[in-house]
Amino acid sequence: MALLQISEPGRKPAAAMHRRAVGIDLGTTNSLVTASCGSGVEALPDEDGGQLLPSAVQYRKNQTPVVGALAKAAAIDDPENSILSVKRLLGKSRSEILSQDPFIPYQFDDSREDGAPAIVTAAGVKDPVQISADILRVLRDRAEACLAGELEGVVITVPAYFNDAQRQQTKDAARLAGLPVLRLLNEPTAAAVAYGLDTSDQGNIVVFDLGGGTFDVSLLSLQRGVFEVLATGGDTNLGGDDFDRVLCDWLMQVSSHSGTLSHSKRIELLYLANQIRHQLSDEESVDVSYGAWTGKLDAELFTELTQDLVNRTINTCRRVLRDARLTVDAIDNIVLVGGATRMPVIRNAVAEFFGKSPLVNIDPDKVVAIGAGIQADVLIGNKSEDNFLLLDVNPLSLGIETMGELVEKIIPRNTTIPVAKAQEFTTFKDGQTVMSLHVVQGERELVSDCRSLARFELRGIPPMVAGAAKIRVTFQVDADGLLSVTAQELSTNTKSEIQIKPSYGLNADAIEKMLESSRDHAQADMESRALKEAQLEATQLIDALANASKVDGELLSAEEASRMADVVARLQSAISDGSSNQIHALSEELNQVSGDFAARRMDLTIGEALRGHSIDEIERSTDE
Amino acid sequence: MTNKEHRCSPAFKKQPSHVQQIKQNYFQLFKQSESFELDVSTLAENYRQLQLEAHPDRFAAASETEKMRAVQLSSYLNEAYDTLKSTLRRAAYLLSLHDVDVEQVEQSDLSMDLLLEQIQLREALDELPKDSSALPALENLKADVTVKLAGMERKFADGLQRREFGSAKKVFHEMQFLHKLLAEIDSSEEQCLGY
Repeated sequence: MALLQISEPGRKPAAAMHRRAVGIDLGTTNSLVTASCGSGVEALPDEDGGQLLPSAVQYRKNQTPVVGALAKAAAIDDPENSILSVKRLLGKSRSEILSQDPFIPYQFDDSREDGAPAIVTAAGVKDPVQISADILRVLRDRAEACLAGELEGVVITVPAYFNDAQRQQTKDAARLAGLPVLRLLNEPTAAAVAYGLDTSDQGNIVVFDLGGGTFDVSLLSLQRGVFEVLATGGDTNLGGDDFDRVLCDWLMQVSSHSGTLSHSKRIELLYLANQIRHQLSDEESVDVSYGAWTGKLDAELFTELTQDLVNRTINTCRRVLRDARLTVDAIDNIVLVGGATRMPVIRNAVAEFFGKSPLVNIDPDKVVAIGAGIQADVLIGNKSEDNFLLLDVNPLSLGIETMGELVEKIIPRNTTIPVAKAQEFTTFKDGQTVMSLHVVQGERELVSDCRSLARFELRGIPPMVAGAAKIRVTFQVDADGLLSVTAQELSTNTKSEIQIKPSYGLNADAIEKMLESSRDHAQADMESRALKEAQLEATQLIDALANASKVDGELLSAEEASRMADVVARLQSAISDGSSNQIHALSEELNQVSGDFAARRMDLTIGEALRGHSIDEIERSTDE
Repeated sequence: MTNKEHRCSPAFKKQPSHVQQIKQNYFQLFKQSESFELDVSTLAENYRQLQLEAHPDRFAAASETEKMRAVQLSSYLNEAYDTLKSTLRRAAYLLSLHDVDVEQVEQSDLSMDLLLEQIQLREALDELPKDSSALPALENLKADVTVKLAGMERKFADGLQRREFGSAKKVFHEMQFLHKLLAEIDSSEEQCLGY
């Protein structure tokens, strides 16, 4: 019996056998693979001893893709075929990508009707999942060479802030690269694991993760081997790259460069900016030459130029503390992750905000991959003595569209996963047999302001009066943060379910923007919600009245009918362009002019219901 | 091998105990007595212990069926913990154990005094300016509401202990109002802070 095996998690073929498990940090700028080797978890090197693999892929006609430093270097001369920062493209649509980065050098395949950002390269059309898979394949080959055999389990890290589509595509890329995925692990959680097991601390840990292209802050508590994520927040469009861009703008300005740069020139400029930024992490001042211009950039000016970006990161820290209902005094340790946290502007700002110096003894470029390696080792069953567990949360609220384009949140953000929550819904019209379900992710109250995840239909609902059917919608989020939804009509057990798959044709704003605007617009949201509700109620009222007039028209006097028609017309125009107050007032008026008609109908219906029953039956039923 | 034994408590050895576990009353699940007052840190500790055994990560290398079961079980633990952790949800759950449905709100559940007080508190909130100058006043309002809420919680615990479920339900609805108000104060604060 299969279920009996539940008692043996992480079964091993033989107790002494060490299974080949690795952790992979699939980064925006660099990727890394780690495994436990004797003393501890270490980054695995390539043939030349290098550990960081630049996340760059160059495609050439009829040749295998070039991945890594060579591809990164090729981007200057061959920008269209050399893909950088593919992680920024995962789970997004073409239009979304183009609106974020109009300078993107790639040629998208416009014939893709799903809106996917497939890139036309010399080696054919490649979508972000394939490109990510090409990077993962190189890491797999490296690991298999180091560990002398096929991999049995892999933990891949993703930003905590990744949405469902981005997670799903990461998993798809791993599958494409032939990797057996044990788990997707949030990057900040991985970093906390890397530090937590070294120091075996108890307390609250903030993980500040500024990577090449994404920014996450997570607050975790560690108690007796259980890491519990208390809150998480971030910005999927903020990273070290943005600091480079600020430097590019500055270089263009001081060198009096006007007009647009070619793709090659722009990439060259970005590399120069990146180099200056790295130098500034070690030196107080850097000599810069760009074209004919030469000059200096010092730490003070750099701090000034990047102040807005730094403030954005600190604001996120503040918000995460607030979500967890903790103050800075309650934080025991701050862990820095990502190469961009080497910048003194960041270290200083973090130390100042939290009132203590962050931990930096593990290389911020490797700490995530090391944590993933530790987790992989535990999950595969190599390290049963380390009885630790990670309890993660879902980063964004998940909900369903209800009548009037409103969102009913089913799983609020920062809920511990895995989680299953159910909510009952009902039909809106008499005799409705199909219900369409629209699953969305985001914090705002209106559907159009959230990210659409999936649509599906529940068919075969038995025809009943509006509001009588009971449809239970269940959301299940697994430990990887991936959602599946089931809908079930309770009286007949009609069932429909969907595993959420990324949909591309999105024009939704970036997640962070959604969150930000949800706070900006809390007030506006409430008003537009009130309006939507008023419109909905009024429409229902008009429908009901029209229906009633059709059935029991003979109960209406001509005068009543014309008075009602007049109010209905005014109400209809208020529904299309009036305020919620106007709609309420007219709905009330309609209720009044139709009141007598409703009363007469009621009398008639009650009469009909009683017909055919003996008095005695009625008395008995009232006695009960 | 001893480690493996240690990781799998007998409760998870076979299907029947799982099924039993998943239907268990939340208080029994976390070995707590069924009352409104409970020790949150013991609750948290017991929750973590159970998750250490039930979480899908414990079954990462196991079969799909086993993984699915672990997801269900772990989700159930999260739901149970989430319910007992919050005083409001805990109160609603306790009432539901005595067949009181808090979703059904009767007119008689809400006294005129309560409604008037709510209106006053809400007006006080609405009248505050929408910038950071309102923060101290919001802080005061929050403190007031928190004190009121603590009083209500004592009253609820009393009512429940005396098995006066009708009056406990009324107190629950008052708590509900105060929680809603606290959430609104929070969101006003966030607005003032520019989040």
